[in-house]
Amino acid sequence: MMGGGLIRTVLLPAIAAGFLLLSPGLIAAKDGDGEKGETVYIKRCLQCHGDEGDGLGPAADRLNPPPRDFTLGLYKIKSSAFDADLVNDDDLFRMVRDGMPGTAMPGWGDMLSEQDMWDVITYIKSFAELEGTPEGQVDYGKQIESSPESIAAGKKYFLADDRCSECHGVEGRGDAIKKLKNDNGERTWPRNLTKPWTFRASNDPKDVFTRITVGIPTTQMPSFADPKSKKKLSIEERWHIANYVVSLAKTKKVVRPENTVIKAVRVEGDLPTSPDDPVWEGASPTTFFMVPQIVGKERFFKAANDTISVRAFYNSDKIGLLLEWDDRTKSIPGDAKAKSIAEGELTEDAIAVQFPVKIPTGMEKPYFLMGDTAKPVTLWRWSSGTTETAESAAIVDAQGFENLITRDTATDLTATGSYKAGTWRAVMTRSLRTDETDKDLQFEEGRFVPVAFFAWDGSNGEVDTRLAMTTWYWLLLTPSSGAKPLIFAIAVALLMGGVLVWWGRGAALRRKNAIS
Amino acid sequence: MKIPRLLQAILVLAGVYFGFIVVFDVILDAVIPSSLLAMYMFFTTAGVFMVFTYDEEQTQELVAPIKSLVEDPTKRAWRNIVFVVVPLAAGGGTYWQMQPSFEAPLELRTIHPAPPSTAKIYGKRVNLLKLENPFREVEKKDPEKFRELVNGGAAIYIQNCQYCHGDKLDGNGPYAAGLNPTPLNFQDVGTIAQLQESYLYWRIATGGPGLPKEAAPWISSMPVWQNFLKEDEIWKVILFLYDYTGHRPRSWEHE
Ligand code: HEC
Ligand code: HEC
Ligand code: HEC
Repeated sequence: MMGGGLIRTVLLPAIAAGFLLLSPGLIAAKDGDGEKGETVYIKRCLQCHGDEGDGLGPAADRLNPPPRDFTLGLYKIKSSAFDADLVNDDDLFRMVRDGMPGTAMPGWGDMLSEQDMWDVITYIKSFAELEGTPEGQVDYGKQIESSPESIAAGKKYFLADDRCSECHGVEGRGDAIKKLKNDNGERTWPRNLTKPWTFRASNDPKDVFTRITVGIPTTQMPSFADPKSKKKLSIEERWHIANYVVSLAKTKKVVRPENTVIKAVRVEGDLPTSPDDPVWEGASPTTFFMVPQIVGKERFFKAANDTISVRAFYNSDKIGLLLEWDDRTKSIPGDAKAKSIAEGELTEDAIAVQFPVKIPTGMEKPYFLMGDTAKPVTLWRWSSGTTETAESAAIVDAQGFENLITRDTATDLTATGSYKAGTWRAVMTRSLRTDETDKDLQFEEGRFVPVAFFAWDGSNGEVDTRLAMTTWYWLLLTPSSGAKPLIFAIAVALLMGGVLVWWGRGAALRRKNAIS
Repeated sequence: MKIPRLLQAILVLAGVYFGFIVVFDVILDAVIPSSLLAMYMFFTTAGVFMVFTYDEEQTQELVAPIKSLVEDPTKRAWRNIVFVVVPLAAGGGTYWQMQPSFEAPLELRTIHPAPPSTAKIYGKRVNLLKLENPFREVEKKDPEKFRELVNGGAAIYIQNCQYCHGDKLDGNGPYAAGLNPTPLNFQDVGTIAQLQESYLYWRIATGGPGLPKEAAPWISSMPVWQNFLKEDEIWKVILFLYDYTGHRPRSWEHE
């Protein structure tokens, strides 16, 4: 719906954003009642944060990151000075109210009253037995508004001395070349700065400034206000970097929930075969969330990939898909560097596109997770290769996880991938129609084809059912609408013009008659 | 100052249109099919037209500005502009209307299909009509033991279900945005509050694939929990779902 859609997509978020910006300042710290807080804790928090507040609830080993251990009194989101032992109560309140995106920690503001939240904060603080107020606060100086100059300066400081790029990669996608661990020895990944919805706080410039100034306690994200740091930054420089970080989120590859259709654009002549061909810019990307596979056996809770963007072209006999997904690691078995940052055994990175065997006529589709015996699916699969073997493309006939058969005959599927600055881009091309009509989907212009995706990060122990997945979406070979709309438009315009002229003429004639 | 009748009519129609959008799209956040909106606008336009042309005098007043534009020789310049702009706008409108929209096919599925009377669960055929939660009676008999059972259910829930249904049971777990259909919200009065424990047992044990056709089993990501959990674990997690949300299961006695 146009009008409402506009109001909803533009106005409401703007209001909400305004509210969020204002609200941290509105928090008035209140005294909580620790005893009442304990009751809230037992009902709402204990399951994750544990009986003893040590973060060892029953799901701890399935959550990434694991729940916070309150006994240490260390918190990630902190707006007190980098060397202060305590955080501000407001920081805790905000995390409890709004939650920590990208983790299992939800926001409780819609379920608990403000007083409940202060009570439970008083209670969780008691686990660490830390009392009092922090010794110092972050000095914000004067905020520098974002501008192209400020962003350019920020980029310079980001890259200089490998200051941020050391961990976050040259384009901010968190494609670290280092193996990072948090204070507990658990593997952590630097944030992909192009995905603001995964930020524990937010990517509001002031929040980013605070994180750069204070660092993220318990993780290797350091403070850049610490005078002991060789890479220390002035307040002004930190504002520039913050503006740069915020600018990284502006990409076309964002998930829009209402956008469930990949629209393949018809072209004459050959399809681009290289993932880096600029021609791909001519097809707009559709982006989907990916989630860890926890539906079929064996489940996997910590998949690394979280989105995939798809563009598509087709011509009279072929279809080409460009798949783009951010992957922090280029997993090439045999490569020493890749091995050193991998978690567990290093395998190839891979991606698969799933289609049903036939375009469904009614609602009925194959089971979204690799089909079943009644309704099989076909997977087009690309694997990144090893130091010994080249990248490869394969077609897999699937009737569920237990029932995957890779076709051993050569197929007409071709696939090529390229890795750059934390992003894989792979092109898959195949004929629209094949001889094996009982095994292969025959594409037709204008028909909606169900499509789903699976991704494996070989540096994160992802093989077989250990993967990231989507549910069913749609692929459409958009037919060109031909000349029909134009012909009708001209006809309507002429007709309308004719009627008006006739009316005007008639009126003029009547006037003349009346006069004479 | 009196607003010309024609302008009045146009303002009324615009108000009606935006009112509809504000109520349904913005406030209720409902998806309105464009055909419904078209029908609604057709009838209101007809209604407004009837009201505004109630008698001869009013009709005259309504069409006067249009008439004078076409017939009044002093309005020639305006007339020429309108005579060019209106046909062009009509042509443009036709062109956009005829562009195919490519909206994804609507998939209507029954969220709460009628359960079968019997189902095969853990290799046994169970009669869903007679099935009861074996732990429900503990609630009155031994509240302390009941608490333990609920806590057991909570642990199972956090380990297995919160990713999708959310730690607050609001259907908004960390994976929810990536799943279509979205996981159900147990806080909502339209889900477990309406259902019997045996229904939940059937749904949890057999998951998405256990649904009948009208509920589109092939798209539901709800796992088949008999593959992962034990029978008593499912009953415990059901106790937890009701305990946490404060809903009561429906039972035969109340009907
Ligand atoms: C489903 C599990 C879950 C539940 C339930 C939960 N939390 Fe958390 N919580 C987490 C996780 C996971 C983190 C760590 C996120 C991270 O490290 O990025 C966390 C972190 C926190 C933090 C640390 C914030 C910081 O800046 O580091 C606080 C405070 C907190 N939770 C409070 C609560 C309170 C209070 C409740 C109950 C009202 C609660 N949590 C319930 C999972 C949970
Ligand atoms: C030594 C490695 C390292 C360096 C250097 C580093 N970071 Fe980070 N950064 C991390 C890690 C690890 C995290 C994720 C922490 C976690 O697990 O929550 C992170 C998280 C972040 C976040 C996310 C904040 C949030 O709310 O979630 C931002 C923004 C960020 N870093 C910006 C920067 C900037 C800007 C620089 C350079 C000035 C920088 N980082 C330098 C390791 C690093
Ligand atoms: C991978 C995501 C996922 C997980 C994990 C999951 N569910 Fe679901 N669940 C869904 C989805 C999606 C639906 C809605 C579609 C449907 O009805 O099948 C659903 C529906 C349900 C329903 C039906 C409610 C109703 O009103 O009909 C129940 C009950 C349920 N889930 C319980 C559970 C329990 C208990 C667990 C943990 C043991 C669990 N779910 C784990 C995704 C999930």
